[in-house]
Amino acid sequence: MNGRRATHSTAAPGPVPAAPAAKAREPMNVLIVGVGGQGVIMVSKALAWLAQSKGFEVKQSEVHGMAKRGGTVFSHVRFGPQVWSPTIAMGEADILIALEWAEGMRWLPYLRPESGVFLCDTKRIVPPFACLNRHPGAPMRYSRETPAEIREHVGEGYAIAATEIAEALGNERAANVVLLGALSTALDFPIADWEAAVAQFVPKKTLTVNLEAFRSGRDWIEQARLMTPVAEAPVEAQQPLTNAPGKVRLEITEEWCKSCDICVKLCPERCLRLNADRIVELADAETCTGCRLCEWLCPDFAIRVHFDEVALEGSRS
Amino acid sequence: MIVDSAPAFDVREYLRKEMMPHFLCPGCGHGIALRALLWALHELKVDKDKLAVVSGIGCAGRLSAYIDASTFHVTHGRPLAYATGLALARPDLRVVVISGDGDCLAIGGNHLIHACRRNLKITCLMLNNEVYGMTGGQVSPTTSEMRVTTTTPLGNSEPHFDACALAAAAGAGFVGREGTRHVPKLAELMLAGLEHPGFSFIEVLSDCTEIFGRKNEMGSSSEMILRQKSELRPEAYRDTVDTPFRANELPTGVLAKNARPEYGAAYRKAAAAIKAAAAKKGRK
Repeated sequence: MNGRRATHSTAAPGPVPAAPAAKAREPMNVLIVGVGGQGVIMVSKALAWLAQSKGFEVKQSEVHGMAKRGGTVFSHVRFGPQVWSPTIAMGEADILIALEWAEGMRWLPYLRPESGVFLCDTKRIVPPFACLNRHPGAPMRYSRETPAEIREHVGEGYAIAATEIAEALGNERAANVVLLGALSTALDFPIADWEAAVAQFVPKKTLTVNLEAFRSGRDWIEQARLMTPVAEAPVEAQQPLTNAPGKVRLEITEEWCKSCDICVKLCPERCLRLNADRIVELADAETCTGCRLCEWLCPDFAIRVHFDEVALEGSRS
Repeated sequence: MIVDSAPAFDVREYLRKEMMPHFLCPGCGHGIALRALLWALHELKVDKDKLAVVSGIGCAGRLSAYIDASTFHVTHGRPLAYATGLALARPDLRVVVISGDGDCLAIGGNHLIHACRRNLKITCLMLNNEVYGMTGGQVSPTTSEMRVTTTTPLGNSEPHFDACALAAAAGAGFVGREGTRHVPKLAELMLAGLEHPGFSFIEVLSDCTEIFGRKNEMGSSSEMILRQKSELRPEAYRDTVDTPFRANELPTGVLAKNARPEYGAAYRKAAAAIKAAAAKKGRK
C-alpha cells in the first residue's frame, strides 16, 4: 500500500486469487465511492449492466444527493443468484473502489476485514470544508491515514494514480474507467464483455480513449501483483504554516468613515464592529484573514488591509 | 486576474486627499465604483498627468473632483461632448467620462448615442442608481417599474431604459455592465473597457441608500449590496434560466464588443490626406 502518488504499489502478500470466490448463495458486494462529477455512477451502471447480462440478480443503490461538484457520492452494487437488500452493511463489501483518496479512507470500514479488495485512486480533491483555518498559507485538514493504518482494514489494496494514467492517455475524465479496468481483474467476467459494458456507457467520441484507459487499469493491476508490497510511503514534508493568525493589520482612516456598516455586516469572519463613536474598528484581530472585502466595499476608502512584515517574510521562505 | 495587484494598490495615492472625506451619503455605491475605476487605472499604470476625467452634473458628476488627475466638471448631460473635443484635440490623453443615469440618458441621451456612433476612444462610465439623488430623488430613465420616487409617489409606471442595449445598438465598441457588489470583477470590466481601442460604455449598478433605498424600503446599505446578488446574474447564465429572477433583472458582464474603426485615428488620417493634397496643389 502506498499513500503517495505513485504508479508502483501493491499490498498483496503472496499469490492473489484473481477473483474472490463468491460463495454459492452469497451476493458479491461492490461499493463505489468518489466525489461528484468523477463518474461514480457510470462505473456502477457499467458493472450492474454487466452482471445483469450474465444472468445475475442485481441491486444497485446510490446516493448522489450531494453530487454537486465536490460533494460525496457513493453507489452500492450487489449481484448474485439471489439479492435481497439493495445496500451493503458495514464490514461486508467485497470490493471498494474509490475515485478519490479521502473518500476511500472514509468508506474503509465498509470493506470486509481480511478479505476485502481495496482499489483507490491517489487523486486528491480537497473540499472547501477542509480549510478550517482560512488564513492565507494555512494548511488544509485532509485525510492523514498512513499506509500502515489502511493495511489493517484490507486484504488486498492498490493505490493507483488513475487520474495521472488517464491524463497521459489524453483525457483525465477517463480515470473512472482506469479503475473499472482495475476492478475487472477482481471479478470473473470475460474481458470482451467488460469492454462492451464500457462502450455502453461512455460517450461515443471518447470510446477509444476509454477502452485504452480500461486496458491500462487492467495491465497496471497485473503488473502490480508481481511487485513486492509497499510497507510505508515516504513521509511528505509537512507544509509549514506560512502565515500565522493575527498578522493582518487594518489601517482605518477614522475621519473618513461614515458608519455605513457595510464592512461590519459583510465581513465573512464577522470580525469588525462600530465603536462608541460609530467608527469601524477591528474587534477580533485573531479571526481576520485579510480577505480585503471590507477594503473593497468601503465607499469612503477608510479601510486599508496590511499584512505585517513578519507574515510576508514567512510566506516568502 | 486583477486581484493580484490588490496589496500594491492604495486608493489614497489617486485621491485628492484635501477634498476627502467625499460628499457622498453613507453607504453610497458611487464610492465603490470610484475605487474600481482607480484600481483599473492603477493596473494599467496610467500616468496621472496623462489622465483626463470629464464628468457632468449629479452625484456621479462630483466624483471627478476627488481624482488626483486632470479633471473637468462640466455642464449637465454634456460630459461626452466635452470629452469628444478633448480626445480629438489631445489623442495622447486617456479620457474617462463619469456620468450618472440621468446625466447620461436623459439630458445627455443624444450625446451618448452619437458618441457611440463615432466610436472615439473614450471610456464612459454610467453610474446607475435609478434616481436623481442630488436633487432630492426624482424619477430617472432607469428607475425600475413600481419603484417609489419623489415624483412617482405611487410607484413608477414608465418602462425603464436598458442603457447597455441602447449603447450596443448605437454602435459602441465595448459595452458592459456590473454591480458594485463584486469589486474585483467590476475593476476587471473597467480594465477591459479602458483597454478597448474604441468607445467603451460601462454601466455600473450602484446603490442610492439614503434616498432611493429609504423610499423603497430596501434596507441598509449592506442589505442593498446583498440585494444585487439576487437581482443580477452573469451573462453566462442568461439563457440557462427561462424566468428572470426579478422583473427588473439585468444581465451583467461584457454585453457587446465590436472592432469598428476608431474615429480619432480615421479623422487624423483623413485630415492628413486633405492637408497633403492641398500642399501638392499649392506646389503646382
